[in-house]
Amino acid sequence: MNAIKQIWLKEIKEELYTWKSMVWLVVTAFLFSFTTYLLLTNKELSLLDQTELLFLLSQIIIGVGLLIITIDASSIITSEFEKETAESLFLSPIKIKDFILGKFLASFTLWVLIFIIATPYITVSSAGSNLVLPFLGYVLFLGSLGVSAFIFLNFAISLLYRSSKNTLTTSLIVLLLLAIPAFLSSTFKNNTLGSFLGKVNPIDNIFGFLDNVLVDYHTRLIDNWQFFVPVIIFFALMLLFLIYAVRVFKRRGLIQKEL
Amino acid sequence: MNNIISAKNITKSYGPQLAVDNLTLEIKEGEFFGFLGPNGAGKTTTIRMLTGILKPSKGEISLQGQSQNGNNNNAGAIGVVPESRGFYEWMTGKEYLEFFAELYNVVDVEKTVSKLLNQVGLTSRANSTIKTYSRGMKQRLGLARALVNSPKILFLDEPTLGLDPQGQEDIQKLLKNLNQQGVTIFYSSHLLTEVSDLCTRIAIINRGSLVAEGSMAELQSQMSTPGQSLKDIFLSLTKE
Repeated sequence: MNAIKQIWLKEIKEELYTWKSMVWLVVTAFLFSFTTYLLLTNKELSLLDQTELLFLLSQIIIGVGLLIITIDASSIITSEFEKETAESLFLSPIKIKDFILGKFLASFTLWVLIFIIATPYITVSSAGSNLVLPFLGYVLFLGSLGVSAFIFLNFAISLLYRSSKNTLTTSLIVLLLLAIPAFLSSTFKNNTLGSFLGKVNPIDNIFGFLDNVLVDYHTRLIDNWQFFVPVIIFFALMLLFLIYAVRVFKRRGLIQKEL
Repeated sequence: MNNIISAKNITKSYGPQLAVDNLTLEIKEGEFFGFLGPNGAGKTTTIRMLTGILKPSKGEISLQGQSQNGNNNNAGAIGVVPESRGFYEWMTGKEYLEFFAELYNVVDVEKTVSKLLNQVGLTSRANSTIKTYSRGMKQRLGLARALVNSPKILFLDEPTLGLDPQGQEDIQKLLKNLNQQGVTIFYSSHLLTEVSDLCTRIAIINRGSLVAEGSMAELQSQMSTPGQSLKDIFLSLTKE
């Protein structure tokens, strides 16, 4: 437990000392301010129904969270290999499980901070409706599931490739492949392929879930199981992928080849 | 004295390439053991196998009677200055040692870190970030990290590389002192005078195989010309 805490604290301090996270958080705050300002003041956008406006805002919060966490998590493990700090670390009594958990907590903390920044925007935009709590709760819950799955994916690729460039490229491709269909037109979604992709795509289903909650007022989890199941399956698959990558890493060892 | 490090017929291969070939080493408790070899002879690979970072392809390793087979089960008893010299450059020297002391569950972190900083002469720069340290200071910090858990066995892979004569002298004094306190030292270096001055027993490897082993006097007696220096012995045993 102490090793997990030490790794988590080290990462948080590094993110603050190197201003990596601070830059992301400032960008996030700016982006949320700009979006909310547009939604509330733009002539055409301000005509949107409040529920539509909230749905749009929820998509932006989760989308921004997934993008930033994917970029951040792609280097959190690989930097230990690239900066040659891994050998000293693994010579200490640390277990790989503690190392991964500490790193996971650090990446997840960044998502929590993004959500905290988003909270005032959510509260202001939901004023007057009874959707504040479901909005906050479901954005946090679904965002956390999605973000965790993408952290697992990033960590698994990091352990297999041990290169931040390869990890970032692969993770961004996966994120884009999953995110693009969610923003495609309903015409595409209505054909057979589009309909199938929509049913299995986790990001599409996170947004479908939020649409059902915010626009159609189906706020209970049980009313949204058809959206929830693909998200949970994606989460479980990414966790299994990470477990597989850890096993491969253990088998290969820290040093892959040297003479 | 019991063998504190025991490696029996260890081999490490990377595909068709043989890095270490059927190497056997027995090191007794309290020894100052020198480990020599030309570049690419397999010294670092051997140290990585002995410290558990690398799993041998064949053979058995034990430290203090405990099996060491590509794991860090013996991490609490050993200290290592590895070949890779990566540091968390954004940390201060003090924070760096505190981080590792916490990982080793050291009881009094503050006292231990303060003592180590003093021991390696970094007290005045304890609160400076590592990125501002010279190469010599980083070497000394690496040595302090290796000592954070008060190890019984210390593995050093070229710890004085790139240090000026004063820096080398300081590290040698510190190592002599640690050895006198009972720490077993496994020392790999290219500085042959340093090795012959410090080590009670020396092993020389070439192309992954052991070519000579013994005290300085034993090594000299194995040679055709008596009274040769370690440099002459090393060159005659490792020349292509």
